[in-house]
Amino acid sequence: MSTTAPNVLTDADYKVADLGLAEFGRKEIRLAEHEMPGLMATRREFADSQPLKGARVSGSLHMTIQTAVLIETLTELGADVRWCSCNIFSTQDHAAAAIVVGPHGTPEEPQGVPVYAWKGETLEQYWWCTEQMLTWPGGDGPNMILDDGGDATLLVHKGKEFEGAGAVPDPASADNDEFRIILETLQRSLAADGQKWTRIADGIKGVTEETTTGVHRLYQLAETGDLLFPAINVNDSVTKSKFDNLYGCRHSLIDGINRAVDVMISGKTCVVLGYGDVGKGCAESLRGQGAKVVVTEVDPICALQASMEGYPVLRLEDVVETADIFITATGNKDIITAEDMSRMKHQAIVGNIGHFDNEIEVVALERWDGIEHINIKPQVDEYRFPDGHSIILLSEGRLLNLGNATGHPSFVMSNSFTNQTIAQIELWTKNEEYSKQVYVLPKHLDEKVAAFHLDALGVKLTQLSDEQAAYIGVPVAGPYKPDHYRY
Amino acid sequence: MPVLRSLAERFGAERPLEGVRVAACLHVTAETANLVRTLAAGGAEVALCAANPLSTQDDVVTALAAPGVSVHARRGEDADEAAGQVAATVAERPDVTLDDGADLIGFLHAAGRTDGLLGGTEETTTGLVRVRRLEAEGRLACPVIAVNEARTERLFNDHYGTGQSTLDGILRATNLLLAGKTLVVLGYGLTGRGIADRARGAGAQVVVCEVDPVRALEARMAGFGVMPALGAAAVGDVFVTVTGSRDVLRAEHFARMKDGAVLANAGHFDVEISLADLRAAAVGGAQEVLPLVEQFDLGDRRLNLLAAGRVVNLAAGQGHPPETMDMSFALQALAVEHLVRAAGELDARVHPVPADVDAEVARLKLRALGVSVDAMTDDQRAYRTSWG
Repeated sequence: MSTTAPNVLTDADYKVADLGLAEFGRKEIRLAEHEMPGLMATRREFADSQPLKGARVSGSLHMTIQTAVLIETLTELGADVRWCSCNIFSTQDHAAAAIVVGPHGTPEEPQGVPVYAWKGETLEQYWWCTEQMLTWPGGDGPNMILDDGGDATLLVHKGKEFEGAGAVPDPASADNDEFRIILETLQRSLAADGQKWTRIADGIKGVTEETTTGVHRLYQLAETGDLLFPAINVNDSVTKSKFDNLYGCRHSLIDGINRAVDVMISGKTCVVLGYGDVGKGCAESLRGQGAKVVVTEVDPICALQASMEGYPVLRLEDVVETADIFITATGNKDIITAEDMSRMKHQAIVGNIGHFDNEIEVVALERWDGIEHINIKPQVDEYRFPDGHSIILLSEGRLLNLGNATGHPSFVMSNSFTNQTIAQIELWTKNEEYSKQVYVLPKHLDEKVAAFHLDALGVKLTQLSDEQAAYIGVPVAGPYKPDHYRY
Repeated sequence: MPVLRSLAERFGAERPLEGVRVAACLHVTAETANLVRTLAAGGAEVALCAANPLSTQDDVVTALAAPGVSVHARRGEDADEAAGQVAATVAERPDVTLDDGADLIGFLHAAGRTDGLLGGTEETTTGLVRVRRLEAEGRLACPVIAVNEARTERLFNDHYGTGQSTLDGILRATNLLLAGKTLVVLGYGLTGRGIADRARGAGAQVVVCEVDPVRALEARMAGFGVMPALGAAAVGDVFVTVTGSRDVLRAEHFARMKDGAVLANAGHFDVEISLADLRAAAVGGAQEVLPLVEQFDLGDRRLNLLAAGRVVNLAAGQGHPPETMDMSFALQALAVEHLVRAAGELDARVHPVPADVDAEVARLKLRALGVSVDAMTDDQRAYRTSWG
C-alpha cells in the first residue's frame, strides 16, 4: 500500500459485516503477529525484493485473524489481493473489517484489501462473494489463486468448461443445493459475458491449495488432464498437515464443543469418524479431557494405528445408540445419516470438523418426517425427532472448530500460512518451471518453515558434525530426510 | 535410596533405636536390605522373614548377614517352611513389628504373645484390613501405624511403584505388545489407576471393573471403559486383579475369556484369581510354557496364568523401583522411631502416620531430586488461619 497515494476503497470494493469492528480486529491482528513468527520472518526476508510484485492474488480461505496476518504478508511482499472466506460460518467479522480498513486506513476511509466475507452467509451470498473475489476492477481476473477447499479453483474450471460448451447445465438438474447455486451463479455470468471465466482461467499462473479436500480435487483434475494451471499442494507440506491438521484440531475441536454446548467431556463416550491427521488430533484432544474415545475407519492402516493407540475401532452402528458425542473427520460424504441420528441418545451431540458439510446428512435430517428444529443459539441447533429424543447439531454440519470457536490458533496457522506464502512466491517467480500438475514444496522449504518457529518455543537444535552428516548421507544444513520420509 | 541414606546418617548419630528388637516380615529384596541397615544403624536388632516366598532375592539374604541382623527366608519356600520362618522371626520377643500383610502381628495375636509389644507398622492395604478386623473385634493389643496410608506412601508406592512394576512384570513374563490389546484392570484403587494410566500410555485399550460406584465413576471420567467383570471377561486380552478381595476372577469369568488371555494379580494375596476354579476348568491340564507362565488348557481355549497368581510385579518383575521403596521404607523407619519415642502413649488402635513424618519424607525426597519449593510467608500463614 503506497502511503503517498492511498487507495481508498469504495463501498463496492468490499462487503463485510461492520467496519466499526476494525479496531478490535487490528488489536487481535497485532497479538497474532507475535504468535506467527514464520509469517513475520518471511516478511522480513522478502521486504526488499518484493517477490509478489505484479501478482493479483484471489484468496478463498477462512477470513480469520490468522488469515489477516497472511493477507498482509502477501501485500507486504508486493501482491494485490482480494479475499473471501471458504465457509459461510468461518469469518471473524472483526478480522474482515480490519483487513478492509488496512493498517493505515480508517472505517471512513478504508485503504486495505477488498474482502467479501461475513459470518453467517447464505449459500447464494457465499458464491456471490467468491465471484466478487475473483472479479477484479476493470474486468481483470487474478493471476494467482490461493485456495482452501478448492472452491475458487472449481468456479474458474466450471466457468471455463461451460463457456466452452456454450451453456450451463440446468440448475434444476443439480443433485444438491450448493451445486444448483453454483450453476445459477455461472448462468448469470455467462448471460452477461460469455468469455469471462475463459479469460480469467487463461490469466492464472497457478493455485496454492491449503487443505486435504481441495488437494484431492486438484489431483482428480490433473489425472483427467483438466487442470488449467500448475498447483502447489500446501496441505502435504509436513509443516502443514502434520501440524495444522493434527495439533490445530487437537486445540480447536474441544474449544468448539465447549463454546457451543459446554458439556462435561470427561466420562462421555465420543466417536471420532476418520483417523487421518485431523481424526488423530480430535481423538487425542477428547481423550485428554477424559472421554472414552471410539474410532471408526475404512483404511486398515489408520484403523490399526488407532487400535495401537488404545482406541476401540468399531463401526458407527455399534455405538450410534450409546455414544454421547460424534465428530466426523473423514473428507467423505454421508458418514452420519439422518437414520443414524434418529437412533442416537437424547441430546447426543453431532459435529463435523471435515472441510465440507456433507459428512453429516443435514438435509435429510431437516426433511425427516415430523422433525422439530429448535435453534438454541447461532451454530447450535436442536432437532427433536417425533419420538421425543433430540440431537444437537453443531454449525449446521460445517466445520465446528471454525463455526463454534475461532478455528486454529495463530501459532499453528503460522506454519500453514508460511507454506502458503512460500508456495505463492515459488509459483509466481518460477512459473516456467511448473506445468499443469500438482506439486508439493521441496523438503528444504518445509524444514525452513519449521526452523522459523523454533526460537519462539525456546527450542535448541543440535548441529550435525561433518562426520555425522557424512555417516547418514545428508548435508549438514539439510534437507535431513528423503522425500518419502513419513514423520 | 537417598531418603533412607540420609535417615541412616541421622540414626547413626542419634541411635534412637538402641537395643530395640525389631521383627520384620517384608519382601526380601535389595531395597528391604537398605531399610534393615537403616534400622540397624539406629541401634536396633533386626530379625527378617519374607512376606512372600516367591519374592525373596537369595543374594540379599546372604548380603544381609551381619551382627544384629538375622534373616529367615529362602526363595521358593513352601507354606510350612514359611510359617516356621515367621515363628523364628518373632522368637526373640520383638518390641516392634514391621509387617507387609500383617503376618507377624497376626501371629503374635493368635499366639497370645503381645505382652511388651510397643507396636507395629503395616506396609500394605491387605494387612491393614486384617489389623482393623482385630481392632473391630476388640482384640488389637498394641498401636499399629498405617504406613500404607501415609500420603507419601500411597501416591508414590501404590500409584507409581506398583503401577509401573506390575506392567513390567507382565511384560517380562510374556513379552507381550500392549498396544492394541485390551487390558482389564479389576479394582481402581491407587494401584489400579497407576496400572490403567500406564497401560493406556503403552497403547492398550483399558477397561476397569469396580464395585465402588465412586471409583467406577472416577475411572469413567478418566476415559476408561467401565463394565462388570463378566462383560470384561469376554473382551480382555490381559487381566490384572488389584482389588484386595478374593475370587475376583472365577469359573464364570474363565468360561467367557478369549483363547490366549493372560491373567495376572498385583493384589497382595494369591486369592484374587481363583486357582481352584482355574484348575477345575482346565480339562486338558496345565503346563509351564515359559518361566512363570502356566498355561491352562480349557479344551477349546488356553488361559495363561502369571506367577501362580501371586503379586506379578514382585514375582515376574523386580518389584517396586528403589525410588518408591525409598520413601515407603523411610516412612517405616520413621514410624518405628515414632513408636519407640512415644512408647506407652499410643492407644491400641490403628494410627495414621503423623503429618510431620509424612512431610519430612517428602522434604528429603525433594532434596534428593534437587527440587526446591516455596514456603508460606507469615502473612500467608496468618491469612489461612484467620478470617482475615
